[in-house]
Amino acid sequence: MRKHIFSILCQNVPGVMMRITRAFTRRQVNLDSITVGVEPSGLARIILLFSADDRTAELMRRVLLRLEPVESVEEIDPEMSIVREVALLRTVPLSGENHWKVVEQIEEAGGKIVEARDGAVIAEVSGTPEELERLISQLGPDVLAEVVRSGQIYCRRL
Amino acid sequence: MPEISGAKAVWECLKRQGVRHAFGIPGGAAIPLYDALYDETEIQHVLMRHEQGAAHAADGYARASGKTGVCVTPSGPGATNLVTGILNAYMDSSPVIAISGQVSRSSIGTDAFQEADMLSIMLPITKHNFFVHSVEEIPKTLKLAFKIATTGRPGPVHIDIPKDVQQGTANLDLDRDPPYNKPIKLDPTPSEILTAVEMLVHAKQPVIYAGGGVIWSGASEELVALAETLMAPVVTSLMGKGAIPEDHPLCLGMLGMHGRMAANLAVSECDLLFAVGVRFSDRATGDVRHFAPRAKIIHVDIDPVEIGKNVRVNHSIVADARRTLRAILEALRERVRKDRTSEWIERIQRMKRNFAPRMDYDEVPIKPQRAIKEIMEVLGPDGIVVTEVGQCQMWAAHFYQVKKPRHFISSGGLGTMGFGFPAAIGAKVARPDHVVVDIAGDGSFLMNSQELATAVVNGINVIACIFNNRYLGMVKQWQDLFYGKRRSQVYLGESPDFVKLAEAYGALGLRATRPGEIAPALREAIESGRPAVIDILIAPDEHVLPMVPAGGRLDEPILT
Repeated sequence: MRKHIFSILCQNVPGVMMRITRAFTRRQVNLDSITVGVEPSGLARIILLFSADDRTAELMRRVLLRLEPVESVEEIDPEMSIVREVALLRTVPLSGENHWKVVEQIEEAGGKIVEARDGAVIAEVSGTPEELERLISQLGPDVLAEVVRSGQIYCRRL
Repeated sequence: MPEISGAKAVWECLKRQGVRHAFGIPGGAAIPLYDALYDETEIQHVLMRHEQGAAHAADGYARASGKTGVCVTPSGPGATNLVTGILNAYMDSSPVIAISGQVSRSSIGTDAFQEADMLSIMLPITKHNFFVHSVEEIPKTLKLAFKIATTGRPGPVHIDIPKDVQQGTANLDLDRDPPYNKPIKLDPTPSEILTAVEMLVHAKQPVIYAGGGVIWSGASEELVALAETLMAPVVTSLMGKGAIPEDHPLCLGMLGMHGRMAANLAVSECDLLFAVGVRFSDRATGDVRHFAPRAKIIHVDIDPVEIGKNVRVNHSIVADARRTLRAILEALRERVRKDRTSEWIERIQRMKRNFAPRMDYDEVPIKPQRAIKEIMEVLGPDGIVVTEVGQCQMWAAHFYQVKKPRHFISSGGLGTMGFGFPAAIGAKVARPDHVVVDIAGDGSFLMNSQELATAVVNGINVIACIFNNRYLGMVKQWQDLFYGKRRSQVYLGESPDFVKLAEAYGALGLRATRPGEIAPALREAIESGRPAVIDILIAPDEHVLPMVPAGGRLDEPILT
């Protein structure tokens, strides 16, 4: 078992996500992350992460390619690509020194405060999934009231 | 461009695809479709008695003719009743277009009367499915549906059409071809052929394993030519029965759980297995770790998903079976040394002689082998055999020698009891000049026996030969062999009287109780010019043998 990343180009029509995800469900493969964006061509780009052995991953690639709305499936090598994820972090109301410490930690991690009220803040952070993990565990569950993550997106390196 | 209704456009588009027959049932959300059919003269619609029957009939039609079968149903329960039939077509790669009415767009998602989420329900069991959002989408959708159903590996396509879309009107260009860009690799590459030819030429004990893909690509002639050129024996899958005439000296018959001994042993001993248009079903391979253990495997299939899915292969060619076989034949022409495999062929012929199945039993009650023999003699090479599922099916698959492609129709992948009779109706509509016989079990037949009314009312003269042992026979066989003879819930009792059942529907009902009575009854049925049921009372304790237990080795079958 290892992590596989598929970059799927498909028609942007109702049901396409279901066609793709059920192909995994059917074979008892769990999806770790899905992101969707529409390209200028009007096609949807789906970045999909899952863990499987190489044989299953190759089967999945062919199964996806067989779907009518799917135009291409590319396996992405994480070593050869840029990965990013965005997270929005909402903190509990914080007072005094604690408040400024948290803000400092967020800003040090490259995040920025997008809203602040009554001591609580909402911060936007982007980076590799590992960078986000690091910040989230640094702040901890006592500080973070809500963590919303975008899922991972990959782009092949130049 | 004329202004026409969505419903009218559906039939016009079907006609433009060459459709002349459809199987279906009207109902609430399909009434506009059927209203448009009222004036239709070029399409013969067969009114079925259950929507599952409509799907099987369309499937049987497709398999017998090679053309696309069409079925039509209303929304809700009418559409959900298609599920088994459509999945059956999907598992066996049969091109079927299923069209369902749907509640009007304004009611979608409100749990309206007879609303079912058919887009979701059909999604995993079709090659593709559509929800039609507007009248304007109808021509494009219908054309794409046929393209998808018939391109590459065939399969069913479902189209869900809301009632108000059927009723709406628009100026439609029915002749414009929508672009279809799905890339399908049909031709083998020269290097793929070269590798295959090298392997074939150097094999000392080659076996060809042919499946339904050979029949769908029309490659029977090429298959026989390849077998004769290589002097290689041919085994088939259930779906491949008829791809090569089964009385051909090189044909060993069906492989697998209930395959012929010679076929199973040949695959177990061969040093090269050339598999074409097959998917290595577990019922064909048995334990994959011991499947063709000495062989290198070449796999030819149009569907890349099948390559390496069930067995590991040494060389694969993703391409059309016919084009591949032709290319191989072309390349082989100067390469094959004659009689190079004579020792192998002698061994094969010896196996074939030693394990020739016996069919000439005279016992009472009738042995199923004897019943198959009599049916085979009456039907000759042109009769079309359709089967139900279970013991009756495996007796037919094991013993019946099919001489031509599209003359043996059976539910393989899904194993659908109740498939045979409605599929026989479809086959008869497709090939009215052929005698069509459903080799049925009493259990299977009752699962769609209501279609007797369809056959009688529409004058579709199919003949059901019921191998009646009053049991769910295959389950009984498993219970006898693997569950200590604990026959749980398999005895069906003495009801119904199948002769009276046939007569109640207005069909001819006949009964055979002794060997020698089946052939005359079948002749009488054929000459009667009516649909018929022949109730053949067979030995209730007879098993289908030999049998390779599920997951067992092909060379270690149960013999007695």
